[in-house]
Order: sequence, then C-alpha cells, then structure tokens
Amino acid sequence: MRAIDYALRQACVSLKRSAGASTLSVVAIALAVIVLGALLLVTWNAERVVAEWTSAAEFSVFLRDDASSEQRGAIETALDQSGIVAGREYVSKAQALVRFQREFAELASLTAGFDDNPFPASVEVRLRAGSENDGRADTLVRRVASLPGVADVRYDREWLATFGTGLRTVRGAGLVLAAVMALAAAVTVAAVVRIGLYARRDEIEIMELVGAPLAFIRGPFVAEGLLQGGAGALLALVLLWIGFAVARGWWGSEVAAVLNGLSMAFLPVRLCVVLVGGGMAVGAAGGLAAARHVGRGALTEPSGGR
Amino acid sequence: MIEAHQLSKAYSRGLYALRDLTLSVSKGEFVFLTGPSGAGKSTFLRLLLVQERATDGSLIVNGHDLMTLSRREIQEYRRGIGFVFQDFKLIPTRTILENITFVPEVIGVPPAQQRRRAFQVLKWVGLQHRMNGYPKDLSGGEQQRISIARALVNDPVLVLADEPTGNLDPDLSLEIMNLLREVNAGGTTVLVATHDRELIRLVGRRTITLDQGRIVEVG
Repeated sequence: MRAIDYALRQACVSLKRSAGASTLSVVAIALAVIVLGALLLVTWNAERVVAEWTSAAEFSVFLRDDASSEQRGAIETALDQSGIVAGREYVSKAQALVRFQREFAELASLTAGFDDNPFPASVEVRLRAGSENDGRADTLVRRVASLPGVADVRYDREWLATFGTGLRTVRGAGLVLAAVMALAAAVTVAAVVRIGLYARRDEIEIMELVGAPLAFIRGPFVAEGLLQGGAGALLALVLLWIGFAVARGWWGSEVAAVLNGLSMAFLPVRLCVVLVGGGMAVGAAGGLAAARHVGRGALTEPSGGR
Repeated sequence: MIEAHQLSKAYSRGLYALRDLTLSVSKGEFVFLTGPSGAGKSTFLRLLLVQERATDGSLIVNGHDLMTLSRREIQEYRRGIGFVFQDFKLIPTRTILENITFVPEVIGVPPAQQRRRAFQVLKWVGLQHRMNGYPKDLSGGEQQRISIARALVNDPVLVLADEPTGNLDPDLSLEIMNLLREVNAGGTTVLVATHDRELIRLVGRRTITLDQGRIVEVG
C-alpha cells in the first residue's frame, strides 16, 4: 500500500511538473479512445436497431388474383395454428393500391393509366419474438408458400444478414485503427514518461542504492502513465458525449422516425468503464515500457567467476 | 566488516580496474582509500555497492558474500549501507527534510518514523533550522552535511564516501571529515575514497593506497 501511495503521489507531482508534455499524452490517448468510442457508439446503436428489427420480424404472403376465399381461409388457419404468429392483417388489392399511392406520392400518377389494379392482395404477418432464431419461421414460410392460392411469400432476411456482416467489417476495421492509435498513444506516453525519468535520474540512483524495491522505483512512472491514460479516456468520453448530444439534437427526430421510434442512445456504463480501463491500461503500458530498465542498472546479476 | 581476497575486476580487452586486491577493514574502523585517478578507488566502491560484480576473488561485507547476492538480497544488503557522493546528489525539487525522509520513505518506513529520524540526523549535522529550505539555498559544505545526514538516516553499519570533499575548499573539507569521524565514533565503519593526501594527513587514519588496480601501500 505504501508503494501505491508513494507511486500515486510522485506521479501527481510529476504530472504537475511536466504539464505540457503530459497534455500531449492525454490528447494522444483521448484521440485513440474517441476513435474507438465513436465506433462503439455507432455499431452499438446499429446493433440495437438490428435487434429491434429482428425481434419484430414480419413477412408478407401475396395471394394469387384468382385465390378463392376458401384458399385464403386455409392460409390464415395455417398461420394461426403455427403458434408463432403475433398478428396478421389482410391487405386487399384496393388497399395495396391506396397504400402505394400514399407512400410513393411522386409515382402515384403512374397508376392512373392502369386498366387493372396490378397490386396483389396479401396477408401481412408479424412473428413472435425469437421465432426466427430456432428456424420455426422458415418452416412456416415454406409451408405457407406451398399452399394453394399463394403467389409468393416475401420473407427477405438476407439484407439483415448483409447489414450485420457490414457492421462487423466496419467494427473490425475500426478496432484495427483504434489499436494502431492506442499503440501510438502508448509510445507517446512512454516518451513523455522518459523525459520525467531523465529529470529524476539522481533520485532513481539514490533509490537503487538505498535498496528501494522495484515497486517504489518503477511505480511512479507506471502510475504516471496510468493517470495520463485515465485522464485521456475521460476526456474522450466527455467529448464523445458532447458530440452525441449535438448529433441527437440535430438528427434525433429523423433517426427516431426511420427507426420506428427507437432513439439514439449513448454508450452503456459498462462500455464507458471498459474504455476508461483501456485508456488506463494503455497509459500504464507506456509508463512501464519507459521504466522497464529502471532499477536494473544498479542491480547486477552474479558473474560466473569468483 | 569488509573482507576482500584476491579480488579482481577486469573489463574487455584484458584491462583490469582492480587486480588481486586483498584487504580487510574491521568493524568500527575508519579507513582512507587513496591513489591517483584511475587507481581503482571508485571501482572498489562500486563493487561494495554491488553496482558491479568482481570478475574474480571474493568480497564479503558484513557477512554478505557480494559475489552471489540475488537481486532481492542486494536490496536488503544496501539498506545497511550509507553513501556520500562528491556531487552531493541532493534532489533540487525537494526540501532539505524531504531529501532525507525520501530515503526511509522508499524502503517503506512509516511516515512518522521517517520524520522523527530525519529530524534527529538533521539536528546531528546542525542544520535542523534549514529543514524547510531547498538545496539551492545551501552552501557546498552545508549540502555535503545534508548528504551525510541522508547517508545516516537508515542507521547504516557502513558508510562509503566517494571523494566527499572533492568540491569543497580545505576548511570545509576538514569540517566534513570531522563529521565523518563523529559518525565513526558512534561505531559505524567508514570508508572514504579520496586523493587528497593533505586531508588524510590531517585526519590521520589507516590508509590503503591503490595504483593501477593494485594495493601499493597500507599505512
């Protein structure tokens, strides 16, 4: 405990003494954490959206124009008896046309020239949460598609899979970039700590010669990196939060409209803790790298000869 | 206290800093180690502090075989040694008191005990009234007295001094030597490396003279 107390006190003194150089380290770590944090913020929100879409899975059963009411009844019975349908809605050909004209107003004039309504009647089905994970949804879709009176079933989950793959690619690339920046930050911390180390070389020599344990000799430098890393990560989180608040103020309502009312959310506390811990770890690694030879110079290994 | 037998320190290309050194310093003794520059005085002190290892022979200090000490054992051993540098090596950003408490602090002595002992040694060198000042406020002689106080704060059994008067005028040099004699009078073994023959004559203690790494005279 005395070694930790000593290390933290000396680290604070050193940070105060070399405020300019320490600021450089803090900024370097903050930049790395901002990159990683922004990436996590975007991908985490995107994952929430995907999860929401996945849990609210739907499919459409398009009916043939000549489908009889008995055939439609058989389709609806099959859906109801499946046990995974949360709700269904019949959309007639006329309703489908109206919906198209409403949702695609700029194309509505195209429908004026139709002799016949080209839009098929359909049954829109909402699935219960989790029903697509165990393959029951796929089974139902295949079964319904084979029923008489069914023209087509649209259950297109491929884009969600593509979106998920894209998300993982973006996250992977971002993690690589963040790792490179973290390495650069650690090197910056090491360089700054080394400056302090040079300034305190007499102190270190005395510590070595009075038999101070390595924890006392190297501890202050590791603690210095640790504090720089923590400060950098906290700074990054504050800047990320400000950026997030501004973005939400500007585009929050648009995003919510696109995402069925799902609002943008800042990183959860556990991820913030991980980011601060990561920043501290990077800083400590830089400090340790700078001080790795300290305390060895005056502690020679036994020689072979007598 | 110090037993060296056939002690040698060789560097590359067959250059010897010390060669077949055999000497003995008893507990409670005050000994000068002298000789011209390059005679091996500082090398011997470095061996005593285990900053370097001898390449041959044996060196036993206060019961510790310095040829075989592990890192942890070196730390323990050094806690019983005080040292005084020619250039004082006081830490300019710390007060006089902090320069002294620093030594027990970094080996884990409780704060109250650090301050009590630091004040005792400061009083002993007569500079307790300057404890809140900084090294830059002190004269060379005063800085060396602080350096001696720092060497004594952990109650060492052996004090090593490497040219402790090298940066001081003759009057101050004698004053520092008198202080070291008082340290010795308290039972602490003192080994002083110096090339100042006049000072040795004035203090008048046993002297080991080295030249080119060998003992040439014991007086």
